[in-house]
Amino acid sequence: MSYVLAKSKNPDIQEAGECGGAVTSIFKYLLDENIVDGVLALSPGDDIYDGVPTFITDSEDLIKTAGSYHCAPTMFGDIIQKYLSDKKVAVSVKPCDIRSIDELIKRHKINPDNIFTVGLNCGGTVSPVTGRKMIELFYDINPDDVVSEEIDKGQFIVELADGTEKGVKIHELEHEGYGRRLNCQRCDVKIPRKANIACGNWGASDGWTFIEINDEKGEELIKGAQKAGILETKSPSQDAIDARLKVEGIMIKMAKKNQDVNYEKVSGIKEWDRCIRCCACRDVCPICWCYENCELNKSYFNASDVPPSPIAFQGIRLSHMSFSCCDCGQCDDVCPMDIPVSLIFDKLQKKYQDRTGYVAGVSDDVKPPLYSPAKEEL
Amino acid sequence: MSDELKIVGLLCNWCCYGGADTAGTARMQYPPNVRIIRVMCSGRINPSMIFKAFEEGADGVFVGGCHIGDCHYDAGNYKWSRRSKIVEDILEEFGIEKERFRHEWISASEGEKFQTTMDEFYKTLQKLGPLELK
Repeated sequence: MSYVLAKSKNPDIQEAGECGGAVTSIFKYLLDENIVDGVLALSPGDDIYDGVPTFITDSEDLIKTAGSYHCAPTMFGDIIQKYLSDKKVAVSVKPCDIRSIDELIKRHKINPDNIFTVGLNCGGTVSPVTGRKMIELFYDINPDDVVSEEIDKGQFIVELADGTEKGVKIHELEHEGYGRRLNCQRCDVKIPRKANIACGNWGASDGWTFIEINDEKGEELIKGAQKAGILETKSPSQDAIDARLKVEGIMIKMAKKNQDVNYEKVSGIKEWDRCIRCCACRDVCPICWCYENCELNKSYFNASDVPPSPIAFQGIRLSHMSFSCCDCGQCDDVCPMDIPVSLIFDKLQKKYQDRTGYVAGVSDDVKPPLYSPAKEEL
Repeated sequence: MSDELKIVGLLCNWCCYGGADTAGTARMQYPPNVRIIRVMCSGRINPSMIFKAFEEGADGVFVGGCHIGDCHYDAGNYKWSRRSKIVEDILEEFGIEKERFRHEWISASEGEKFQTTMDEFYKTLQKLGPLELK
């Protein structure tokens, strides 16, 4: 593991990207050298609250994916296994993305040789609806006037077209029920260390991206981009490294606090009786991959009532994959009845973690523990 | 009515089912509330089977397998023992007392162990009363 500061040498990318556009430059290098067939990244949709996963094959189009979208939570693991499994792909990943990719690799659904993962440190994402509402309420700004947003130093900051910025403490927003998505508030994996490299602005000076190189593939990536003359690098000072670790530490501490408060609520969840058995939570789950063969579709479970008994509906999914839950929160997002589904999955993964030490998508175990033929008891 | 308590017993063909048979041929008395389902191995049991039993109105679910090291298929009971921990964790979250779910290693010769286990389990369930699912 080593650290490096980087920024783009291409002035356009530097301008468009965040923190010197290092990530976009690395993608450009991979595409230009034909190392990958394409790059999977977010490109803007209707506004800054809308990001569309795009598979880019022409490096000229990369520029539009530059910049970050905190209000457009998406999941790439699922997209790769469903649609891009036969291609060589470079992908930008949040910690939950790489955790789901890692779990899918363990299930032989993604070939690790086919993907390059560029990790992005993540302090959390905001649901687009909540984002709009809170900008109206707390910032007194028309959400459509906002040209960019960022999360920095504990604040959610929005920028207007004339360059004025306004920030509100995330803690205050969340106290009022706004702010980051609930699963992000609980998430304690902030730096994607399973990705080839992990990039972010924590600890970096202005205009530079702080990169943690996690493996040999990441090392080659940086060296290659340097050689191609598209990436400028320097080594960070010890202060920068410490500052970054400090930010991570604070975030994890806050997450643990949120976990303690919220995990207790699970047994009191009353919302289960709203369930309409639409199975959207299963369909969107990046870990669930049985599809037509899903046990929930079997006649002996399909026939159960609406609302289904939670033990027979969520219970089955929980027993199948909760130990691999990466807490991406997509089940919350898609639930038409607003059931806080992810909370129980996340709690059970934590319980499993306490039992076995297995952290979904982070631990190096070759197989998810329940599939293992090992002769050992828990 | 405690006499209507329903217990679903999932027993492994090679050990616990034989144990129940031993208890039967030796005319040992045990509560008639248990409905036995024979499975080929405790490793065959999915958590969903347990959940389905509770959903369909079982007040308690018992799983019996071979002693560790004695599995007819080498390691099936190890798999079940790991799986059972997950089942316990999940049941707890849905308000089903962990005493309602029990598993035990019983060999084909241990008719008496089968009898006492069933007695104990039945008494536990009597104390808890019928299960009311949320």
